[in-house]
Formats: sequence, C-alpha cells, structure tokens
Amino acid sequence: MSHSNEQVGSTNERTPAVHMESVHKWFGDFNVLRDINLTVAKGERIVICGPSGSGKSTLIRCINRLEEHEQGRIVVDGIELTSELKRIDEVRREVGMVFQQFNLFPHLTILENCTLAPTWVRKMSSKEARDLAMHYLAKVKIPEQAEKYPSQLSGGQQQRVAIARSLCMNPKIMLFDEPTSALDPEMVKEVLDTMISLAEDGMTMLCVTHEMGFARQVANRVIFMDSGQIVEANSPEEFFRNPRHERTIAFLSQILH
Amino acid sequence: MLGRLRTRYFRNIWDATVSTVCVLAIAYLAIRFFEWAILDGVWQAKSASECASRDTGACWAVLPARWRLLLFGLYPYEQQWRPALGSLVLLLAAVLTCIPWFWKLSRIVVLWLTSFLAFVLLMRGGILGLPPVSTENWGGLALTLFLFASLMVLGMPLATLLALARQWGPRWLRIGVGLFIDLVRAVPLIAIMFGASLIVPLILPGWLSGDKLFRIVLGFAAFFGAYQAELLRGGFQAIDKGQIEAAKSLGMRAWQYQLTILIPQAFRITMPQTVNQAVAGFKDTSYVAIVGFFDLTASASAALGTGDWALAFVEVYIVVGLVYFVFAYSLSRYGAFLERKMASGHRR
Repeated sequence: MSHSNEQVGSTNERTPAVHMESVHKWFGDFNVLRDINLTVAKGERIVICGPSGSGKSTLIRCINRLEEHEQGRIVVDGIELTSELKRIDEVRREVGMVFQQFNLFPHLTILENCTLAPTWVRKMSSKEARDLAMHYLAKVKIPEQAEKYPSQLSGGQQQRVAIARSLCMNPKIMLFDEPTSALDPEMVKEVLDTMISLAEDGMTMLCVTHEMGFARQVANRVIFMDSGQIVEANSPEEFFRNPRHERTIAFLSQILH
Repeated sequence: MLGRLRTRYFRNIWDATVSTVCVLAIAYLAIRFFEWAILDGVWQAKSASECASRDTGACWAVLPARWRLLLFGLYPYEQQWRPALGSLVLLLAAVLTCIPWFWKLSRIVVLWLTSFLAFVLLMRGGILGLPPVSTENWGGLALTLFLFASLMVLGMPLATLLALARQWGPRWLRIGVGLFIDLVRAVPLIAIMFGASLIVPLILPGWLSGDKLFRIVLGFAAFFGAYQAELLRGGFQAIDKGQIEAAKSLGMRAWQYQLTILIPQAFRITMPQTVNQAVAGFKDTSYVAIVGFFDLTASASAALGTGDWALAFVEVYIVVGLVYFVFAYSLSRYGAFLERKMASGHRR
C-alpha cells in the first residue's frame, strides 16, 4: 500500500520528516500563517509555543491537511501535499495526531477505538489489530481498560488511549495539539510521561504545548510563534536562557511567572 | 406496602373519597367488561344474530369464522400457508434483530435482505412451482407486516443517505435533497399514496410504472425517509466535529468514518425519536386501505362486510386494535431496551 512512497521517503534518511516552504494561510481576511519556513529532520522533537491565536495549532494541522495551506509548499516524508486525495491519504497514514479534547469515539470501547483504523485503513485482520492495540495500550500503561468505554476513564487515561490509538497506525510523525491543556493538573504528568517515552523511542514529534518543563527535557528545538509568524527558533537551553526577541521575552515572563 | 398505600391514596378524607370513587369506577368497568367478554361471551355460532339469540355478551364466534381473512386478506385460501410462513420469517427476523450478535452492519443487512426477499418470493410465487399471486390479493396482517418491513428495509437506508447528503454533500446535492425532503413533507401521506397508485401510471409508460403495491411502498418509504432523514441530520449535528478530525488524522476516508462513527452515533442519539417514527409508520400502514388494499384494518371491515357478522364490529375492532397494540408496544419496549443497552456503555 505505502511501498512506493516508502522508497521515495523513508529509505533515504536525509529526507526531512516535514518541510514547509513560505507557507501562507488565511481565514477570510485574517492572515493566520505568514511565510512559514520550517524543516523537521527525522527523529527531531519540536515544541511550538506562543500566545493564543498565534497560528501554532493551524501550523501543525496543515501538516496532516486538517487545514489547507493556500500558498507555499508542504512536503511530508517526501510526499508533497496538494489537493490530490491520494496524497492526502498517504500523508495521513504517516502522521498521527493527538488533540486537546482527546476526540475518542464514545460509542466504541477503548480496544475498538484502537483497532478501528488499522482494520479499515490498513486492512488488518481483527486478530492482528487486536494484538497491536493491546501492545500499545500496554505501552501507555492501561491494557486493563481495554473493554471499557471512553466515558468511564479519567481525562489522563483518555488522552493516553488517544496516543495509543494513533500509534496503532504506526505513524512516522506524531503531532500533538495542546495534549495536556484540557486535563486536570494531577493528570498532566501521566500524559507527559507517555510522550517522553515516545520521544525516547525516537519518534519525530511536533508538539504545541505550554509545558516548558517538557520542552526543556525533550525538545531539540523550541519554536515561538506570534501573529502567524515564527518569531524565534532555538535549542531549549538558548531559548529559555537567552530569548532574543522582545515578544518572546514578554511571552516567557507571562508563562514562567 | 399497606402503609405506603395509605399515605399516598388515603391521607385525608378527600384523598380517600377520590380514591374510593376511582377504585369503584374501575372495578365496575372491569366487571362489566368481564361479564360481556367472558361470562356472556359466545364462542360458537354461525352468525352475529345467532350470537344475540344465545346470550347478551360478546360475539367471539366471529373470530373462528373470519380469522383467516384478518390474517391473510384476499390471498387464495388454499395458498395461505405462504403468507403465514412469510410472516413468520419476518417476525423471526425482528426477533433476531434484538440479539446483539446481529448488531453489525453486514449481519443486519444480510438478515433483513434475505428475510424480506424470502417473504416477497413466497408471496408472489411464480418460482419453485408456487402459483403466482398478484399483489392485489395480498392482504391482512401479512400485508401490514410486509408494508412495515419494507418501510424499514427501504426507508431507513434512504433516510440515512438523505441525511448524509444534506449534511455533508456538495452544495448542489444539499439543495436538491433539501428540496426533496421539504416537498415530500409538505404533502400528506394520503396524497402520496393516491399519487403513487393513480397518477404515476398516467405519467410513466406501463413498463416503467411497475406494480401498484410496489409503487405505493416506494412512495411510503420516501415519505418515511424524508422525516427520518431530518431526525438523523439532527443526530449528525450533535456529534462533535473533533471525532471527524480524529478519524481523518487516522487516515480514514469519508465513507469509512461515516459508516463506523457517524451513522451509529446518529442512530443512538436519535433512538427515542426513531422508535417514535417507527411506531407511527407501523400504524400509518393502514392508509393503504384507501387505495384499495386489504391490510389488517381493511380486512377487518371486509370481515364484517357480509351480513352475517355485521353486528360483531366491536369484537373485530377490539381484536384488530389489540394486534396493533401488541406490535406497537413491542416496538416501544424494543426501543427502551436499546436505549438501556447503549446507556450502559456509552455516556455522552
């Protein structure tokens, strides 16, 4: 199914996971992304932060085409995103996404949430899909909840299921859109720990988050966005110690108290 | 128990009076009905007037004399095992539908298509050495069951497609489907039935207009589908858009997540109203009497049509009413069972 693009993409280790070139996007008159240039290498972990409305969610949602960019080029693992449906499908099979509101399917059990896409999209047998799902549910440390429904789980557990559900599609890249923002404080850590262990496995990750501790520990690069632009990008040490841009300084002083 | 009875119904003199009067009234009516139906009832007679000469109560003798007409209408007498078997097949399918093992799209589709097809083949004949029977001779409870089954088998998928098209289709389709739904809903069911039976054959050439009963079934299904589609559309709108984004991000195509995520949830969300529609649809099948078919209701009046039993109309309509009640009430209970079953897992 994805053999052809595997030859184009992943066999070459130097192909960037994500390459964005002068990307623009508008919501009506509002220029939500302005001239975004970003290259993410395989295995790289990027944290994107910035004030609300700065375009950071829109940026990562363009990578799996939940939003359409209007100008510029986006190439994901060697596949350029155009309006061609076949390419969008290919990219979405490579890219997993975790949402702020979990977005689990409430009418399906935890296990069914995880096996649905592998059986329908990857055409796996139900036995294979089940084994795979149990493997990843064990990885996020909730295999015992497999037969329950999402509403019976805590927010932190639901978010870990959402991560497992994405992993069941064996993505090469994971996008996280404020994964801990809807959680009660005591549940943030269990989700971050899951993300850290994913990072340790070498997953390419783009995370929109304000968890600066996570950024320090895991990120290769921290990107600060404001008004649709990438204002500053740096290693976490430099980013927190020597923020260069005044908007970065103002933002950091607000969230680091 | 006694204490609760006392505090609820006999707390003071007024409560006690009202309760006593009601209990006496109910008891009186119950005793009178019992007298009429059982004590003074006549079970064997050759006509309603013979009943009257024997006793003052209900003339149940009409039932052994006329039950085949009620069940099978004008279907040829010696062939009536066919509607009997066909109806049993449909009832069996309905019972099997209650078993969770069948709650998978592929299984439910196979179950209903085969039982529906079996019913139609049995009734029509013309194969396997069964003499053909024109649909104009289908009748009685068997016809009522056929109409209701076809309403579900054709109307539900139609409703689902219409709702999907109106909610997520391209602009031209949304407008077209919206127009269709509004048009069908703006016309009374009787007019649709007259149109299907009388006007369509005037417009379409003979080979295209097909069988009268099947035209009526299609019109009825369109009517049901238009209402049900709007219910389902409400269900679709109640589903959080985030779920669609999650499905897309997992690489699912639109038809895949519509089938596995949106449609099942829309039916769950609209279950009480859907059961409501189904019960209304079941009772609306009696409208076909107007365009000349002998469904259960029309067969009842046909059963009284001969002078012999004309006076036994109360008895016949009580039985017919009871039959409708049994089916409609079973539908309501089935709906309640589904809701409970779903609530145990899925809480929104």
